[in-house]
Amino acid sequence: MKKKLLALLLVCGLVLALAACGGAPAETGGNDSASGNAETQTPDDTAAGNEEPTPPDDTANLSDASGEAGDTAYVQNKGTLVVGITDFAPMDYRSDAGEWIGFDADMAKAFAESLGVQVEFIEINWDNKLMELDTKAIDMVWNGMTITDEVKAGAAVPDPYCRNGQVVVVPAAMADAYASVESLKDLSFAVENGSAAAEQLDILGISYTALDTQARALMEVASGASDACVIDLLMAGAMIGEGTSYPDLTYTFQLNNEEYGVAFRKGSDLVDAFNTFWAEASADGRVMETATMYGLQESVIVK
Amino acid sequence: MLLTVTSTLLDGFGTTLRLFFLTLLFALPLGLVVSFGSMSKFSPLRYCTQTFVWIIRGSPLLLQILIVFYGPGLLFHLPLLPRFTAALLSFVINYACYFSEIYRGGIQSVPRGQYEAGQVLGMTPGQIFFRITLLQVIKRIIPPMGNEFITLVKDTALVRVIGVYEIIWRGESFTKKGFIWPLFYTGLFYLVFNGGLTILFRKIEAKLDYFK
Repeated sequence: MKKKLLALLLVCGLVLALAACGGAPAETGGNDSASGNAETQTPDDTAAGNEEPTPPDDTANLSDASGEAGDTAYVQNKGTLVVGITDFAPMDYRSDAGEWIGFDADMAKAFAESLGVQVEFIEINWDNKLMELDTKAIDMVWNGMTITDEVKAGAAVPDPYCRNGQVVVVPAAMADAYASVESLKDLSFAVENGSAAAEQLDILGISYTALDTQARALMEVASGASDACVIDLLMAGAMIGEGTSYPDLTYTFQLNNEEYGVAFRKGSDLVDAFNTFWAEASADGRVMETATMYGLQESVIVK
Repeated sequence: MLLTVTSTLLDGFGTTLRLFFLTLLFALPLGLVVSFGSMSKFSPLRYCTQTFVWIIRGSPLLLQILIVFYGPGLLFHLPLLPRFTAALLSFVINYACYFSEIYRGGIQSVPRGQYEAGQVLGMTPGQIFFRITLLQVIKRIIPPMGNEFITLVKDTALVRVIGVYEIIWRGESFTKKGFIWPLFYTGLFYLVFNGGLTILFRKIEAKLDYFK
């Protein structure tokens, strides 16, 4: 009988927990921004982190404190800046030794250093990046992210740091026949779900198949499932051509100009810390130096 | 190249297998507890359990993984579970519910007369269950369990949605570098492992074949 009662308690507890989970997601949007803003810190306060790095303190790394104090204080208290990334050369990728490198990764290390904290990279599922930020699974996204209205609505975005654009990728044999915007209407397209590429095709009124990564969109074209895909310029440069699985693909023309940015939680004061950091790193030449190392000297934005 | 890919994929398959074995370790006993709940004579417990099993079996595992991992943070601003732990927890709950129905089927298929025979011999309900019913249940549930085990191996691929780096994730990471074949190569790992499971289950069935 005792066993049965115990089982009853366990099971009912689980049911309740689950029922609570099911009902509420709709309510969450509002409080996030409110709690993030609870205490506004001046940019000067956050910059003070440079002179006096708070020592890492393992006992205080639960999220309670962050509600009242700013996000910067939260990150400095726990001693690590958790950066959400994907494997995306030349922004974030692994060196042969297994360490995360790339333009974004190297600059993220420098940014964490300016805050006086360790950096930790976590590969995330890109579709969930806003949820990862909201739930504090990560502290920022720094992964060649195009600044879109959707991102601006769901996260705090500092000034852009890099320029990019969306390009049309087709089999090399078809490149000449489809060199104008008008000719694109005859093609079937694949894009990454919810990406800037999808937005461009929406504007042009062209329908497409949405997949979960840009790499999957390329696979569509290579397999013949779609005629063409739209991916961003930096990725097209790195992923197609000789020595890859896509030697027969090429990109034709650029649909738009856009900018890369990082993202923090809504209302985070790390936005100011980032802008200050980027200005300093631009002034002392670190930005250009790192950009040149990864072939981004044409695209990077120096303040 | 083949060597690098294989070792990366093996690393991912390690995570896959860890999830597989740990899920079985916790879900097999928990499933039995749940099956007792859904067969209980105490009706509130029975309805509660049946509703729970309905919710878990009736909704996609993918959603359950997302809820277990992001739910605490999104709803209550609580710190999150580690990714692997959240994945494991959702798998244990989900598979315990499936297992419970298999157990229930097995237990209820043992003829009523055998319980009565046990009672006549003066055995307690516990003795009847462990000495008479259980072995017959095990024999009967082997084929459906084999099915679930194999499904479980493949379901582990879902956890990449919260960034647990199992084998498909590793395979897909190569597609971002311009290589497609490693993604399909992952299928071989599943096939070999499931081949092993199939043989194992056939052996167990043969071993238990000494009574009808």
